[in-house]
Amino acid sequence: MKRSLINDIKRQKYIYLMIFIPLVFYTVFKYIPLWNAQIAFRNFKSVRYGILNSPFVGLDNFKEFVTSYYFWNLIRNTLMYSFGKLLVSLPAAIILALAIYECRRSVLRKLVQTLAYLPHFLSWVIMYGILLSLFAPGDGIINDLLKSLGKKPIDFLTNSTTFPWLVIFSDAWKEMGWSAIIFIAALMGIDVALFEAAMVEGASSWQRVRYITLPAIRPVVVIVLLLKIGTIMDAGFNQIFMLYSPAVYNVADIIDTWVYRQGLLDGRFGLATAAGLFKGVIGMILIFTSNFLSKKYTDNSLF
Amino acid sequence: MKRTKATESVSVKLTGADRRFNILVNIVMVFLLIILALPLWSTIALSFRPSTFIGTYIQGMALPPWKWSFAAYHSLLGNNGFLIAFTNSLKILFQGVFFALLLTIPLAYGLSVKDLRGRKWIIIFVIIPYIFNVGLVPIYILIAKLKMINHLSAIYLPLAIGTYNMLIMKSFFEGIPNELRESAHIDGCNDLQVLVRIILPLSKAIIMTIGLYYGVAFWNDYFHPMLYLNKDMLRPLPILLRNILLAAGMNEFVEASAFGEAPIEAIKAASVFMSAIPMIVAYPFIQKYFTKGTLLGSVKG
Amino acid sequence: MKKRFFVVAILLVALSAFIFAQGKGESKPKTDGPVKIEMWYNATQTEVGPLPNDWIGYKILKDRFNIELEASTIPSNPQDQDMKIQAASAADALPDFFVANREVWLRLAKNGMLADVTDLYSKMPNRTSIMFDQGAIDFTTIDGRSYGFATPSIIARNEGLLIRKDWLDRLGLEIPKTTEELLEVMRAFTFNDPDGNGKHDTWGYGAFIEATTYEAYPGRRFEPLLGAFGVEGTWNMTKANFGLQIRKPEFFDYMKYMKTIIGEGLIDPNWMAYKKDDFRAAWKQGKFGIMREQNAAYSAQNNYAPFDSNFPEGEWVIVEAPIGPKGKQSIGPEVRGLRIWAISDKAAAAGKAEKIAEMFEWMSHGEGYLLCGWGQEGVNYTLDKDGIPVSMPGPIGFDGAVGQTYIQLRSMAFNYSSDTELLSRYPVYTTEVSKKQMSALWALREMQGKKWTPSMGADSMPVPSTDLKTFYEQGLAEFFTGKRALTEANWKAFIAEFDRIGGLAWEKAGLEYATANNYLN
Repeated sequence: MKRSLINDIKRQKYIYLMIFIPLVFYTVFKYIPLWNAQIAFRNFKSVRYGILNSPFVGLDNFKEFVTSYYFWNLIRNTLMYSFGKLLVSLPAAIILALAIYECRRSVLRKLVQTLAYLPHFLSWVIMYGILLSLFAPGDGIINDLLKSLGKKPIDFLTNSTTFPWLVIFSDAWKEMGWSAIIFIAALMGIDVALFEAAMVEGASSWQRVRYITLPAIRPVVVIVLLLKIGTIMDAGFNQIFMLYSPAVYNVADIIDTWVYRQGLLDGRFGLATAAGLFKGVIGMILIFTSNFLSKKYTDNSLF
Repeated sequence: MKRTKATESVSVKLTGADRRFNILVNIVMVFLLIILALPLWSTIALSFRPSTFIGTYIQGMALPPWKWSFAAYHSLLGNNGFLIAFTNSLKILFQGVFFALLLTIPLAYGLSVKDLRGRKWIIIFVIIPYIFNVGLVPIYILIAKLKMINHLSAIYLPLAIGTYNMLIMKSFFEGIPNELRESAHIDGCNDLQVLVRIILPLSKAIIMTIGLYYGVAFWNDYFHPMLYLNKDMLRPLPILLRNILLAAGMNEFVEASAFGEAPIEAIKAASVFMSAIPMIVAYPFIQKYFTKGTLLGSVKG
Repeated sequence: MKKRFFVVAILLVALSAFIFAQGKGESKPKTDGPVKIEMWYNATQTEVGPLPNDWIGYKILKDRFNIELEASTIPSNPQDQDMKIQAASAADALPDFFVANREVWLRLAKNGMLADVTDLYSKMPNRTSIMFDQGAIDFTTIDGRSYGFATPSIIARNEGLLIRKDWLDRLGLEIPKTTEELLEVMRAFTFNDPDGNGKHDTWGYGAFIEATTYEAYPGRRFEPLLGAFGVEGTWNMTKANFGLQIRKPEFFDYMKYMKTIIGEGLIDPNWMAYKKDDFRAAWKQGKFGIMREQNAAYSAQNNYAPFDSNFPEGEWVIVEAPIGPKGKQSIGPEVRGLRIWAISDKAAAAGKAEKIAEMFEWMSHGEGYLLCGWGQEGVNYTLDKDGIPVSMPGPIGFDGAVGQTYIQLRSMAFNYSSDTELLSRYPVYTTEVSKKQMSALWALREMQGKKWTPSMGADSMPVPSTDLKTFYEQGLAEFFTGKRALTEANWKAFIAEFDRIGGLAWEKAGLEYATANNYLN
């Protein structure tokens, strides 16, 4: 059969029809803002005087960001947190999903499954309260323990050695159950007949996990991983913003918190947008590279 | 989540390795239970803490129920603006999830069709704005141009397709065997009918999950309503919560808080309950769809 | 098949038209109808709910001034306010009349988004006579033209240094007068078990980080200590010794004093981790015995009640700031605390400016003033024999749950200095457990009588760049935590780097601005 373009489109006209409106949606709500993002190259004040009328300043906003005093510090911290979270939260979510799936004790399983979602609903304001109750140097539970063991209390929240760990693990705790939902949904799709066949062939539990369960969720894991790599320059604004303080700025300040203080609160929207585009370029490079690698080695890919 | 009977019955014959595996799983689960339950319990206990309580956090967690105070819940639920805010939140939730699924499902399905011409380019078209987060003002300008300021749609429409959610859904659709689609085509179904009659019934779990992800995000969105909704009568719960929570910190300007007995920490803790409402309501339904082996019946039948 | 395809296609197009054609319901402006004024105001009490639609003032404004007011509250968080107003400005979606802090106002004015209101003062004779003296007009003046109305938003000198009198008495100590005596009291409060529970769970000083433009890091709660070394506030606003306090040699002496307090463990160790709410919960639980607190946050009925029931014997006294080694003493820098009401350029272009002035004037005296401040007489309040408004009993009274919503515009009317406003705002009450007579007004009067440092204009001085501010705060914090050792050499190196990356330029800009505006005294 000859596969001409017109024939293909005719054959799949309903598919194109289906994706037409969503793509219009993308054009309006995603690409027009992207067009508006040219304010990054302009000395933009207000739409009142027109975007195209604002003076073109080239890469000045980018230069200001890239040459700012703490630039490399911001990049280091941003990457530290996003990779740290990827390395801790994603495996935590997968282990949680697997444990729930494999657990034979139904009461335990139901309890954990129900509780695991809930921390997602604690806003970082409340999380801060919980962290304070655990880690406060004066009367936190952990420090009370340390004191009763005759050790000196540690200022976990305002100490640049402990702070990054606190950020990464509190995020893992809060979000692992919520991100596990998607893996549990994937596990639900496994054909039970596969397990029966494995049993008949005498496969151990470990082998079942390795050859049936893990491969079943691999496509989703890869997609999640690739998408997270694409937004690697977002290290979790809300969390850091709530937890950080001047004593830990050197290990806490990330691109987004800097942009918030320098760009948004100070009304420097061109600068804020420039930083966003900068992050996007890096994300683009990373997602294309990792997509290529993933296609080559795991046979799963985004596009 | 229930297991199907097949695995339970087969697993009667346990080898030593299997037993060790089960023990390990149980240890992991108990560990998870402890680290999840204790902080959650402390939050719940905190929400019932009376303002006269003095003591350590551990003493607070062990406070017996007859000493609990409901003042925090009273001050949240009894607030003048609660009903209006709750209604607005419900509207945003239902309209938002409706439009979100209406737009996300067809795109996810369309892109899951592997031999679609231009599929790769469409996916790249969709991913670019996901990676380039241009931030507040470029979008605000659009919302203002479309005259969507002071419309609830300004909250959910710009977010109606979450690229992350859409691509996850696509990957689930890709897991459905292609033979199903082909045999339906042979039976004379067009792709629209394939989606409605075959794909959707098989994908209830993922659709519920993604719907939940959207719903919870809309329900707890503070930032966009804060920016785009100026009229007080349009504002949803997260704004009301923020107004209540911040009031205590702002009493440079006010002479007395309107909370009466409830301490601010208790109100903060009680507000968790409000943000989890959609989850609490939707959870039993989701459980229902999570119990069935989604693909099993269809491939065999 | 084909037919069905087209039906589906039409349906989909119709749907997309519906989705993307939001917002067509906007009514077109009528030429003869009332003048519509969109206003963003800060709620008097954010948590009680917005001004109800049946507020009588709406009707009065419509009937008498032909104004259709559409009042909306701005977000309760100051950072969100700044972001929202500036984003609206960028998208040309500013309301007609709105309130903003000075930094945001300045950027908007420089961007040409605000109307020149210089000629409107004469249209508001009463408000001008009460609120707009030369200082207030200067506050909003750029190149000889005024771009907003600076109105009072806080009461002057409304904070004080407080000490637990019952702890002093139990330990047989006097009220400390100098920094050395204060240190002794802190030691006693920390180590001598002032609450007598046999545990080491109390500390001398309590604070949290609260920095503003004129009270730089570590901020407001430490001002009495900074004041003892003569380095209170961000700026020294005297002619003789103008400059950034951090660059003064005395700042190093203050740092040494702080290091003593921190090193000996005399300050609640959570001070760096506390947010405002945590700090306020902590003093109510008796964690520390010395603090700087605001009058109403300390002594208004609901705020004091938890402390009263936890410690019926407990008593805070408001004391004078400690005297430092060189005889310096101050509770902190005193500024006017103004917020700016601005008219957008867009509103002025639509000819709304005069209507806005009419409304603003109406709110400043007589009927409009009473309505905004206390509600309706006989409904929300009655006048007592001295002519002071007293709340009606029940929820509809102006301090009841419903009545409070009717006075959300109070900050537009009050000037926070007349006795009527303060007496009505801070009534005398008897505490529930210890049966003490208290009033936030008494506390205020006492706090106002202490020694403050006049720093007019310090809150409108130039602000540092984000990186410079980060450097400033991070540097001090690292000296406090001990990450950097506080030695003379380290301090000099820190100040040198601070100067290099913009500190000197910042000071210079400050001098120019302060000289040009006659803020030096």
